Amino acid sequence: MAVPEVKEKYAGRIQEVTLGAGSRGKTVAIGGESTLPFLHFEGTVANRPAIAIEVSDREPDDWSPLLKEAWGDVMGDPAKWAAKAEELGADVIALSLDSAHPERGNTGADDARKTVRKVLEATTLPLIVYGPGQKDKDNEVLVAAAEEAKGERIAIGNAEEKNYRTIVAAALANDQVVIAKSPMDVNLAKQLNVLIGDMGIPKDRIIMDPTTGALGYGVEYSYSVMERVRLAALGGDATLQQPMVLTVGYEAWRTKEARTNDEVPQEWGDWAQRAILWEANTAITLVNTGANLLVLRHPQSVALVRKAIDRLMAGA
Amino acid sequence: MALSGIQIYKVLPQTNCKECGVATCLAFAMKLAARQAELSACPYVSDEAKAMLDTAAAPPIRLITLGAGDRKLEVGNETVVYRHEKTFVHQPGLFLRLPASLSDADFAAGVDKVAGYTVERVGQMLRTDGVAIEGASADAFAARVKQAVDKGLAVILLASDPAVIEAGLAAAGNTKPLIYAGAGADSAALAPLAKKYSASLTVGAAGDLEALAAATEKAVAAGAEDLVLDPGMTGWADALALPAQLRRAAIKKNFKQLGYPIIAFPGSLSDSAEEEAMLASLLIGKYAGLIVLDRFDQAVVYSLLALRQNIYTDPQKPIQVSPGLYEIGEPEPGSPLLVTTNFSLTYFSVAGEVEGSGRKAWLLVADSEGLSVLTAWAAGKFDAEAIAKAVKTTGVAEKINHKSIVLPGAVAGLSGELEEELPGWKVLVGPRESIGIPSYLKLLASQ
Amino acid sequence: MSKYIAKAAIRGATAIVNEADQLLEAAIADLGADKEVAFTNTAYYLPTILGFTGKEVSNLGQLRDVVAHCKTLLNEPPGDELWLPYLGETLDSGAATLLAAETIEAVRFVRGQQPEKIDGLQLVGTSAPGGPGYANGPIDDIQLRAWGIQLVDGRMPGFAAIVGCARSNEAAVTLIRELQKRNILVFLSGNVNGRSIIDQLQEEGVEMGYDTYIVPFGRDTISAIYALGFATRSALTFGGMSGGQIRDILLYNKFRVFAFVLALGEVDDLKYAAAAGAINYGFPVIADTVIPQILPTGVTAYEHVVSMPFDDIEGDTDTDKARRMVQRAIEVRGVKIKITDVPIPVPYGSAFEGERIRRADMRVEFGGSKSTAFEYLRMVDSDSIEDGRITVVGPDFSEIKDGGAMNMGMVIEVAGRKMQEDFEPVLERQMHYFVNGASGIQHVGQRDITWIRFSKAAVDKGFGLKNLGDIAHARLHAEFGAIVDKVQVTIYTDPEKFEEWLAKAREAYLNRNVRLAGLIDSNVEEFYSCTLCQSFAPTHVCVISPERLGLCGAYNWLDCKASYQINPTGPNQPIYKGTCIDADKGVWEGSNAFVYANSQQAVDNVSLYSIMDSPMTACGCFECLVMLIPEANGVMVVSREDPSMTPAGMTFSTLAGVAGGGLQSPGIMGVGKYYLTSKKFIAAEGGFKRVVWMSSNLKAIMADELKQVAEREGDPDLIDKIADERSATTVEELLPFLEEKGHPALVMESII
Repeated sequence: MAVPEVKEKYAGRIQEVTLGAGSRGKTVAIGGESTLPFLHFEGTVANRPAIAIEVSDREPDDWSPLLKEAWGDVMGDPAKWAAKAEELGADVIALSLDSAHPERGNTGADDARKTVRKVLEATTLPLIVYGPGQKDKDNEVLVAAAEEAKGERIAIGNAEEKNYRTIVAAALANDQVVIAKSPMDVNLAKQLNVLIGDMGIPKDRIIMDPTTGALGYGVEYSYSVMERVRLAALGGDATLQQPMVLTVGYEAWRTKEARTNDEVPQEWGDWAQRAILWEANTAITLVNTGANLLVLRHPQSVALVRKAIDRLMAGA
Repeated sequence: MALSGIQIYKVLPQTNCKECGVATCLAFAMKLAARQAELSACPYVSDEAKAMLDTAAAPPIRLITLGAGDRKLEVGNETVVYRHEKTFVHQPGLFLRLPASLSDADFAAGVDKVAGYTVERVGQMLRTDGVAIEGASADAFAARVKQAVDKGLAVILLASDPAVIEAGLAAAGNTKPLIYAGAGADSAALAPLAKKYSASLTVGAAGDLEALAAATEKAVAAGAEDLVLDPGMTGWADALALPAQLRRAAIKKNFKQLGYPIIAFPGSLSDSAEEEAMLASLLIGKYAGLIVLDRFDQAVVYSLLALRQNIYTDPQKPIQVSPGLYEIGEPEPGSPLLVTTNFSLTYFSVAGEVEGSGRKAWLLVADSEGLSVLTAWAAGKFDAEAIAKAVKTTGVAEKINHKSIVLPGAVAGLSGELEEELPGWKVLVGPRESIGIPSYLKLLASQ
Repeated sequence: MSKYIAKAAIRGATAIVNEADQLLEAAIADLGADKEVAFTNTAYYLPTILGFTGKEVSNLGQLRDVVAHCKTLLNEPPGDELWLPYLGETLDSGAATLLAAETIEAVRFVRGQQPEKIDGLQLVGTSAPGGPGYANGPIDDIQLRAWGIQLVDGRMPGFAAIVGCARSNEAAVTLIRELQKRNILVFLSGNVNGRSIIDQLQEEGVEMGYDTYIVPFGRDTISAIYALGFATRSALTFGGMSGGQIRDILLYNKFRVFAFVLALGEVDDLKYAAAAGAINYGFPVIADTVIPQILPTGVTAYEHVVSMPFDDIEGDTDTDKARRMVQRAIEVRGVKIKITDVPIPVPYGSAFEGERIRRADMRVEFGGSKSTAFEYLRMVDSDSIEDGRITVVGPDFSEIKDGGAMNMGMVIEVAGRKMQEDFEPVLERQMHYFVNGASGIQHVGQRDITWIRFSKAAVDKGFGLKNLGDIAHARLHAEFGAIVDKVQVTIYTDPEKFEEWLAKAREAYLNRNVRLAGLIDSNVEEFYSCTLCQSFAPTHVCVISPERLGLCGAYNWLDCKASYQINPTGPNQPIYKGTCIDADKGVWEGSNAFVYANSQQAVDNVSLYSIMDSPMTACGCFECLVMLIPEANGVMVVSREDPSMTPAGMTFSTLAGVAGGGLQSPGIMGVGKYYLTSKKFIAAEGGFKRVVWMSSNLKAIMADELKQVAEREGDPDLIDKIADERSATTVEELLPFLEEKGHPALVMESII
């Protein structure tokens, strides 16, 4: 019996963005698809979603003991940490210059340069470099990072509506990619892409972070916002066609489910299994609505998500 | 094409008899249009109107019921492809597969695990729905089905021999079981059985939607009404692609032959409980009606239930947390008192930041009808009066030894009014975004 | 383009190209064609030459091609009888001048004559080789990137290339200080009769160098080329362009680098030629001498060449004059200045917005029951005000006893290229939020019912009337910089002046009211959208027209128009009406197309004036709900504040669930309460006469407006004929009420 044609003919396509150049042994392209996630029957999925492992330049004091257990000593040294992350299957290293935060060390541009240099030398993978999330310090250390990594095509972030100009300028000056982060809202994401685009940075150098909540903590908002972004992009809205990155590890490991096993209901099950699944299931749910790059924390969830993506790409 | 309230009103009796429970016929019509009411509530509706409304209102995906009593499970009846378009309506059922090879004790343990699992999240009790029982001999099968049904569980009958199936159906009684005879089974042949026992019936066709549509048509012709589709997923990409096509055919093309809920078995495509959980997550996100797991780990089930609850939240009616006073990190009388709204995401953001800061605080959650701070403020639902009311009703003043309350920075404008509503209190203005809370608490502590 | 300038520029260009040719040939003869040439630490070769020609010049021989290219750009000066356009020729001459100047500097570099030796000059921060006693010469790449980022991200608004010598040392210092104050980078070069502004600053002990953002390039005009080399490299670095893409490079500078040239002293042919070169980049030239002006908007953002003869500038001292000159230069280039801090003696921020000042804590109040205060913001000619000037006319409140009151009027005058008279009330209303941000100050009301209280604590810290002006000035710049260039505030307490200005203000308020009343949908080209609520109602698009404000009541058409000017990528976008499809229902091709595109294709037809046929969607923030009551052949209007039962059998909150969420539901819609008074209120169904029931609080709040509507509708007692929750909460109660009152809806044609 004839079934009506359900293939969509989309007018738009997601922008492809490549991370890594110069001394990087590997480059990673994300985006480029012409359909919704893994619907191989109606379009091309040009690149598999990539996985970045988050590495901090400061031994985190608020991370779950499970993460400390998994990474061990390397957590005190971003270079070693990055090398181990590469070994454990990362596509990209997401280096967080957290120590620059005024309340967490207040390190400056010179420290940032040194850290970036060390990590570049310790891994062959492309880098994302995140600032500490405080306006002035972000500007200070991201400019330094962008200069230090000139020629390596790293991504720097986050450029947000209230603070994007310096970061974008640093990306422009040093030929880097910029991460545009907006609060879970299609129109705000669009506006930021337009503003950043207006500064003259080419579209193949913008990745958008529409912000996510973890499973159980608002993941459904991201699910729908991302789906709307993606449908608009495929529908031809050029201002929303940037590939999407999500800081899944940060969100998932902040939840009570992942962080602790103290006084939790017995029905929550085994702590380690729950925590890792919390990260992996948040990740896969976002992959299901268009995530192109996931920043994760635990080696086991990295392995799980990687294998899941392998399987999803197998239909291509 | 959905009818508008006015169009529906025109064919209603227009008597305002109120017997439907709504004050006027127009109000009832509006509710019908918004799918907040059922036409059957109107005792005086004409046949002509009924026919017209039925056609227009018939769900593009048939509503299927499994189980009975308080575990009655309804799946299907979905009206949109993307949840932001309106909402996903009926959460997919979560089942555990119990193979025939299990010992009686293990079987009983499996049933108990499923029946006994319940967990609270954001004020809702979440639980799994039932078991999928694999048939061996008719007698053993009947006994096992009965055992599950007695525990109140919905059951899926995994059997291919009609005699075994019938034994299971009989044992299930009036609990509306689902027959699953395997992907290659001749479902039309089982249609009379399904009809006889008011059961629903799975129709399968491996990866071929045309064959699947033909099979459902045949089953309907043979007397079955309540069908479930097994499109025969052979890999993970299939598990996304096939349901996507079925959903579009049913909703966008109104193609009735494929307008039924979908059943999926993620375990058979996975090597571990975690992988199974991830594929199940993909299926919850996109279009499965029934998910049968091979493994039952509490952590897996909990994460899937949380996701299911998230995805099936109405995007236009956000989850609320109960208003009241929340203690974060065993606060002391001297700990700061913060106030926010009862929109779940707002609550989680604020509570999460306070927890993450490692400090103790009292969090007063005012009833904003589930709106976020700014939206509630704009709607007049988070004003000085509402906050003062929350302060008074929760009796927080008895628990703390100070009279300071921290307002979200976005509503700094309320501080003056609030000081008037709460004489003797000092109103402090906190950060605009929850991310600023840790620094703010640190500052407070240093003062 | 003045023919005078064209002639001078072409003459100047011809001379410098010849000079470059001779110097180059002499250098090649002395040093050989293979002799390397390079500027200080740059990867961009000779940057202007690279930008214009794509040539990566690294030795003297390669410069011959450049000189040859210059010659092709030279033209005959226009003859006295020729009236052909000559802008192109002049600009070409300008380009030739730049290339020749860079050639000359390159040759000088080779010969060790650059950077220029200037005795006693000690730079604080430089990349120039040679140590003390030398000008900086070109800026190296590291400094370029550091400053470039600031220019791109807006921390540094632009740069000023100063060429020549100021009228006096006093004027020179003031110019520099005024530019520094605004964070504008300063490049110095040139001289007049051998005396340079560099000498003037040196004499006055002004520190120069990278650290003070003042870079002395050299004492001749030719060294000004380094400014354009800097501009060219900015485009190459931040614009992602490569050598030879000169069109893009020039456009980049025009739109993104806010630079201008200050030509001080006599302008000779070479300066004209160099100015023509700068105009290529979109950098206007402001001269302090009498020269022909080039005013039409074209290549530069605004005027090309502006003459501001120093003697004619208003002001008693050279300092005053220099200050005005800088202000003018900034306006000409359209440089936007950001003011981040509000310079007042009390803390300032949104955290203080809700503060109440109780009578006991109050030092003084303006307005309220015991005195009158008003705020009046008006648009004026840019030339008639001075930015940042704040004047108090009359006594302050020191004579007023504690807790007393006095009359006060605040007149805020603003100027800006994008300012429109229609924005006056939009900006004026912001004063409420602006003033409230100050700790210890309370602001209520607007126009001539303004009521401001100063607390004792704030006054003790030194807060005075003038600070109100400081707030207005700082915040208008910060929030409305896109439309406001200058703000001047005058505060009147002098009784006579106060009355005079109060009368003027009242006249303006009246005129605005008349203007608003005359602002009707058919007289405008565009409506505005509001998509602010799409985060929770993804398919909702508010279409806001002069006669239908946003359903939340917060945005009317003028607000949206201003909002769009301020934030062109924001949620308020213009909707060009296009062809009218149905004038009665309010349907246009443009609004339909916009809504379709922005509602995820969910809504393709919207009637602005109908509740029955394709009414506008609603998000959930509506002030009122309008719903059909078919039994009464009319509609009811329920206010958000009304918790009572309505004749529809549902309360506001239940109804809101039916009407909201971005769905189109004929028979029910959300509106802003002032739409009720519009002539276009459900005009398709017969207008306001259809209202058979209305929440009593609406009747009370809008009593005056509703009375006018009733009169307009020709039924002065209409409001009394409308039921409310006190007279009817069911259809059964409603109908007899309407019969008894003789409500017009009962005899109107059927609404369904």
